[in-house]
Amino acid sequence: MAWVTWRQNRIQLLACGTVLMAIALLALATGPAIRDAFQQQQLATCLPPASRSGCEIIVRHFQSEHATLPLVARYLVFVPALIAVFVGAPLLARELEHGTYRLAWTQGVTRRRWLLSQTLLLVAATVVGALALSAIVMWWRLPFDRLEGRMSPNRFEIEGVVVPAYALFALALGVFSGALLKRTVPAMTAALAAFVAVRLAVANFLRPHYLPPERDTAVGLTPSAHAHDWMLSNRLVDAVGRQISASRENLAIEHAQNARIDAQEYLLSLGWRRAVSFQPADRFWTFQAIEAAIFVGLAAAIILVTLRLVQRTPA
Amino acid sequence: MTAALETSALGKRFRRGWAVRDCTLSIPEQAIVGLAGPNGAGKSTLLALAVALLAPTEGSITVLGRDPWREPEALEEIGYVAQDSPLYRSFTVGETLDYARRMNARWDATIATRSLPELPSRRRVSALSAGERARLALAVALGKRPRLLLLDEPFARLDPKAGREFLQMLMDGVAETGATVVVASHVVADLERIADHIVLLSDGRVRLEGHVEELLTSHRLLTGAGRPLGRIRGVEEIVRERHSGRQMTLLARVSTPVVDPTWSIDKIGLEELLLAYMAPERLPKRSTDEKRRLRWHG
Repeated sequence: MAWVTWRQNRIQLLACGTVLMAIALLALATGPAIRDAFQQQQLATCLPPASRSGCEIIVRHFQSEHATLPLVARYLVFVPALIAVFVGAPLLARELEHGTYRLAWTQGVTRRRWLLSQTLLLVAATVVGALALSAIVMWWRLPFDRLEGRMSPNRFEIEGVVVPAYALFALALGVFSGALLKRTVPAMTAALAAFVAVRLAVANFLRPHYLPPERDTAVGLTPSAHAHDWMLSNRLVDAVGRQISASRENLAIEHAQNARIDAQEYLLSLGWRRAVSFQPADRFWTFQAIEAAIFVGLAAAIILVTLRLVQRTPA
Repeated sequence: MTAALETSALGKRFRRGWAVRDCTLSIPEQAIVGLAGPNGAGKSTLLALAVALLAPTEGSITVLGRDPWREPEALEEIGYVAQDSPLYRSFTVGETLDYARRMNARWDATIATRSLPELPSRRRVSALSAGERARLALAVALGKRPRLLLLDEPFARLDPKAGREFLQMLMDGVAETGATVVVASHVVADLERIADHIVLLSDGRVRLEGHVEELLTSHRLLTGAGRPLGRIRGVEEIVRERHSGRQMTLLARVSTPVVDPTWSIDKIGLEELLLAYMAPERLPKRSTDEKRRLRWHG
């Protein structure tokens, strides 16, 4: 069955391998230069909590010099999902669309074994590929992660074990929607839409609450102490902790400017402070494990439903 | 002797209605059965039920003594070629046979390859002619050494030459494997060339079933002057009655030779016989009870 799976999916698998290789080559081409710069500018000495004088300029210089590539790398968040959808959706949709299920499901290998072995082999390939991608990204982003942390969403979602978990979920969704819609292109579209919806819902509504967020009230108005943490909220409060509306804040700043006083100092003199809630950086792996478990669980449930669907409902 | 294919009150309903209804038949082993009937009669549905691509709505179907839906292992011994001979277009001929080998524990490469001597194994399926594709699909089915071979409209897309080649390969394969064969076709002439048994389906029901020879000897055309019909000696049942002017032609099922000088008696061809049994006046009228039941199911 391994040969059959390979023969029927080799175009998609080869395409995925090529994409992965290209990403690896890009990482190898650009990674060492970034690491050298990190070394030469002695950025390690600027990592919090020990920060020497002049660090602010050095860090900002490094960040602006290497600003584009991390922005591009953020789009890697889509790669495992796309790949999985392109591999997953055609698996059943293609057979049902072209009528070849009438060949595949009437051979000596039972329908159940056929689906199980195809799915499991593709699952294995997806997990291996996505882990490799995640490892490449983690290696490449190491200098940036040391400066900026990796807890905020656009870094959290391209590193660690959530990458294979997302890919697995996308693959399962693809296979399922293929079985349901029976046509390749609609199945891909539906799977992608469902994937994006679930991913956004989890990231926005569930992930902030995996563990109760921590709170801090800073007297200074720039909460640079939490650079590595994931900021959930950042509000201006008065001395007794009531939130200050944006219009009141604007009014106060305007007042300070009219009176030719430094706005920051004026706000401080009023007793106003910043209240932040955040998920600390050291929860990275806990959150990774929780989020990965959610998506692997969803993927397993979808695959089981698909197995039942294909086995029980006749074509 | 167990039947190769047996159904009992089998029914399959789709959203648009019943495709097979109240279908009871038994196909003996070693028979070569022509499954006849007009388009939409339920032939494909019946074959799909036999290979568990579909599940029955009611009744039961047994293939080689097993329920294919509950015991999918039964498929190991069934060769099935669906309509239009589905194959993977991107595969080569060799890969297709390789695929079949890996998908079937009982695979017999010699039977499969012997019947395709002139097909280069490097040729892609998408580059094959309709006849070559049909023969490759048949080779995949024969390579399983099937005890039961089910073919759904195998001649539909073949020109006469390709049809003859396909038929030759089928007969050789059947001789070698000893399989029971069911060939579904709406073209009676195609069935006449191979079948020794006929099952006629119309509107999802069995209209006629039997050995071809026996069916032909037990039916006669009676032509004579028009008259009110009484009992005719030797006639069991009048299947069809046709009037043209003063003449009247009866298609009759007979038990003994009809000896009656007022009728001229002729043999009937298989095609005309099947057409007569398909005729709408032969279909049972729907009772009001059934109508209500149909509405009930939506």
